[in-house]
Amino acid sequence: MAHDLQDPKLIALIDCIAARQLPGVRAGEAEAALRELYDLTSSKLYGVALKVVSNRDWAEDVLQEAYLNIWRIAGDYRSALSPPMAWMGVIVRSRALDFRRRRASERADAGLELNDVITETVAGDSPDPMDTTQASELACALHECLRKLESKQREVVSLAYLRDLSHGELAEQLKLPLGTVKTWIRRGLEQLRGCMGRFA
Amino acid sequence: MNLTNSPELLDRVAAAYALGTLRGGARRRFEAMARQNATVRAAALIWQERFAAMTELQSIEQPGPNVWKRIENLLGAQPASANSPKENAMLEKLRRGLGLWRGAAVAAALASVAAVVVGVNLSREVASREGQLAQVRQQGLQLVAQNAQLAQRMQAMPQIQYVAVLANDQSSPSVLVTFDPKRNMMTFKRVGGFQEGPEKSLQLWALMPSGGPKSLGVLGTQPMTQMAAAEGEVKQMPMLAVSLEPKGGVPGDKGPTGPVLFKGALLQTTI
Repeated sequence: MAHDLQDPKLIALIDCIAARQLPGVRAGEAEAALRELYDLTSSKLYGVALKVVSNRDWAEDVLQEAYLNIWRIAGDYRSALSPPMAWMGVIVRSRALDFRRRRASERADAGLELNDVITETVAGDSPDPMDTTQASELACALHECLRKLESKQREVVSLAYLRDLSHGELAEQLKLPLGTVKTWIRRGLEQLRGCMGRFA
Repeated sequence: MNLTNSPELLDRVAAAYALGTLRGGARRRFEAMARQNATVRAAALIWQERFAAMTELQSIEQPGPNVWKRIENLLGAQPASANSPKENAMLEKLRRGLGLWRGAAVAAALASVAAVVVGVNLSREVASREGQLAQVRQQGLQLVAQNAQLAQRMQAMPQIQYVAVLANDQSSPSVLVTFDPKRNMMTFKRVGGFQEGPEKSLQLWALMPSGGPKSLGVLGTQPMTQMAAAEGEVKQMPMLAVSLEPKGGVPGDKGPTGPVLFKGALLQTTI
């Protein structure tokens, strides 16, 4: 699988960025490593940012912050014990969530702007929008399990995680009754638990 | 709610916690339990990791070409605009490096202990096969020997207790200082590209809380200089500085005569 070859490469690049302040390491090497890391991962991580903030310009701001963050905290990667894409994905999600919160507090109409895009997303133009290219083993398992959910359950569970939304916020943004959202989430999670348990 | 008695319930709550839909008081109670109980914590971590994998499943989208340019510009701007953060990052790096270094040695030691245990279990299984058993024993003995070596090496590691990064006006680090109380030794390492002229020397000063600066001696031209120092003395030095002086340095009683090129605070490390 692609990630078997990809992961050691990404890890080496992150290590190289982390080593930039050690004596004897040229600053240029670390920058070149970040550039290569960017080339290999930015389109994947941009997809994550876009899913969370649902606006191309904002997602680019998020991406920029995320790579600068990766640059700063590359030294922490080793202790995270995660596959490199998952580690970077979590960083992008956190930056994107920060961005949403800032945005929401800055602009009262932010909700309106988001709603259009979200409604569109939930309608779901494709039944299986997820992409497993270069995904880790765990991500492939999650993908399998999410696929078995009804599409609306899958969307609600995915949005709850990626956008860190409560039942109430989901109901409001998706214009659904609170009870419906709670039921979808509960059923989705139950099925997911059963399915993921088999991959453990 | 006793989660530890019901694996089923624990799994359900941990999944809702990691998804983010467990909110308010229930979330705080779960977090408190996770802090106390490793089983609860493990269940939460498993689900956090599972959901984190969702970030790997999003569709591929091309960001605009300007994003990299912006990142590159900001990288270039960082060292110039960041003053003490750079120094802090350097210190942090150093601390972390030392921590990791020790951590790695401990991990290696633990790994060999684990390997010995595996070796013992293995040896039970192959008890009937004498040749293999001998081999496993041999490996076990080797690992024990390695273990002892590792322990010895850890013993020999310096116990860094104070560090300082001496930097110039632009906060670019030039000399890294560490103090090892076990050996009563201060180590000065040149990290910047600064090279004094052939007629000049770099002289080290301790800026004491009372009285004038105290000369510690002249920095060698080689990358690393070591000097003996007692812990009691080092403890009293809040700041260190480096001045540019005539070759061989100046007498210590009158303080520096040339410009102070680098200085920095001496900090006690927490490791």
